[in-house]
Amino acid sequence: MSLLRKDPIVGRWTIIATERARRPAAFVDPQSTSTDQKSCSYCQDIHAPGIFDFQGVKVFNSSTPILDNSKPFARQGHGLYDVCHSYGNHEIVVETPLHIANMAELPLEAIKAVFQTYASRMKTHRKNPFIEYVLAYKNYGVAAGSRNIGHARSQIMAVPVLPMRVKDKISGAQKHFEHHERCLFCDMISQELKSKERVVVENEHFVVITPFASRFPFETWVLPKKHHCDFADGIEGYEDSLASIMKDILLRFKIGLNDPAYNYMIQNSPVKDIATFKENYHWHIEVMPRLTRVAGFERGTGFYICPIPPEMTAAFLREVNINA
Amino acid sequence: MPEMRRDPIVGRWVIIDSDHLKGPADFPKEDNTPTRQAICPFCPGREYQTPDEVDAVRPLKSAENTPGWSVRTVPNKFPVLTSDGNLEKEGIGIYDQMTGIGAHEVLIESPDHDKGLTELSKEEMQSVIGQYQGRFRQLAQDSRFKYVVIFKNFGSSAGATVDHTHSQIIALPMVPKTVLEELKGAEHYHQYRGRCVFCDIISQEYQDKERIVAENSSFLAFCPYAPRYAFETWIIPKGHNADFATTDEGSQVHLAQILQDVLKRLKKVLGNPSYNYYLHTAPIGYANAACYHWHIEIIPKLTRSVGFEWGTGLHIVPTFPQDSARFLRDA
Repeated sequence: MSLLRKDPIVGRWTIIATERARRPAAFVDPQSTSTDQKSCSYCQDIHAPGIFDFQGVKVFNSSTPILDNSKPFARQGHGLYDVCHSYGNHEIVVETPLHIANMAELPLEAIKAVFQTYASRMKTHRKNPFIEYVLAYKNYGVAAGSRNIGHARSQIMAVPVLPMRVKDKISGAQKHFEHHERCLFCDMISQELKSKERVVVENEHFVVITPFASRFPFETWVLPKKHHCDFADGIEGYEDSLASIMKDILLRFKIGLNDPAYNYMIQNSPVKDIATFKENYHWHIEVMPRLTRVAGFERGTGFYICPIPPEMTAAFLREVNINA
Repeated sequence: MPEMRRDPIVGRWVIIDSDHLKGPADFPKEDNTPTRQAICPFCPGREYQTPDEVDAVRPLKSAENTPGWSVRTVPNKFPVLTSDGNLEKEGIGIYDQMTGIGAHEVLIESPDHDKGLTELSKEEMQSVIGQYQGRFRQLAQDSRFKYVVIFKNFGSSAGATVDHTHSQIIALPMVPKTVLEELKGAEHYHQYRGRCVFCDIISQEYQDKERIVAENSSFLAFCPYAPRYAFETWIIPKGHNADFATTDEGSQVHLAQILQDVLKRLKKVLGNPSYNYYLHTAPIGYANAACYHWHIEIIPKLTRSVGFEWGTGLHIVPTFPQDSARFLRDA
């Protein structure tokens, strides 16, 4: 019999297939991301000035932005509908001068610089009073929504509204805090470290788990052990630890799952009234290989069917030899 | 300049990427013609390959699990939820878990392997809708279930694994999250204004006109103002009604007509795209029938969702709904 599991943060249910669970090997999904270095526009632009430059990382405004801050922000009503122009920033983070596709293969120092760049851009964008949320995320591989580029890059979006899924997480965390006067994520971390069955890897400051009610096979979350609501301030002093655990988990995907497409996104607190979130929210990174497709049932219900229990994927990822 | 729009029901913002707009010709085409399968388990004569049918339309009164049906519903051979066993709930520290009790059925819409919903006759399409309601009512009797979802995956990129035309029905022991979000938004709106938000949307759509795709005497098909996907289309009863199970036979005829009409338009404009549709109705035994309004959401699978959308729920849509509606209207 399959199991129904509820995500304690947003209250979303997942159906975990147990008896018919697919073996981890059944998901292996080779990914080609190699493109010719000569035709790589990032390699050609390597000497162009970015809007931000930091230890080999360059930030550019997107050449095809979906957010635009050239006009002042104004909301309007249209009957019962609300509309505004798509105000905000849309930036491309070119992670390295080298023509390397997968962040997993970058040296630790370069990965560290990428996360420091996110932090710095977040601190800049949140000074803008119209910005409500800043998202740093990566699409790697065509199945994850990237173009076939072959050069490691990620994106930053600063938006003037609180996105739906962020609101969900925040309100779930706030409810738990009201009830228990403890951080939900801290509670989750201590339970996971005790039971160990969903822990993939940990170091002094971070732990990587496969969440109890995973939506996707091999979904993983990277959580800082020390409570902090905000990524940009929270990583200070822990940058080396974060870089090493990110490289670790991305290498486990690459070697164990044969270089799959993946997404990661930093799940940060909203940037306005940040003091409200100080105690009840806990920043983290969701890292997800893209191995399955979302169909009508998931779209219609928000219910996910995960074809393999997270305890199995954690065990599989734990055993991947990343030093091979 | 790109535009942000907010859905008035659940409060979800979307971005319409108006600087890089896409029309029907700009999406990759797929070949979704059914391929001949020598061993299709849904074809007549192979009834023994599926679990025993739970319901069927048999115009010639043939015996159960034999040929002669026009629509046939069977339990899914690979169910994600099963109905045998007890619903057991368990807390594991901060986590909640329960046994996977529910039902998972496959509704085979036609005996003809080469036909899709758009090729069915009027009467055949009506049988499909009648069977939707019959199964819905039957499953709603089981006190362990709180919600019944009827949905369809067409084409492999929308998640279909069998070519032979079919829909699926899943009965759940809880109300799913997206429905809860709609209920919450609709109840909030009703509390505030004493009106149904869906009814207000219908009247605004009539005023604006530009997002209307088709209509008949009982139903309206339109592209929502703040869609999540290009060419997303909703079918909604014009009169207030929270519960699909109460739709009368006359309306069922109109529903069959408009659903088939919209699917034909999507097929024509987008070149037989993969799509999903699902029916959102009030939960079983829902008390606030004045607030909610059942409807069908149809979503062609034209783009991939990327990390940004997963992480935020903020969808980026490359087509204005009024343009989607115009293409579909003119088809």
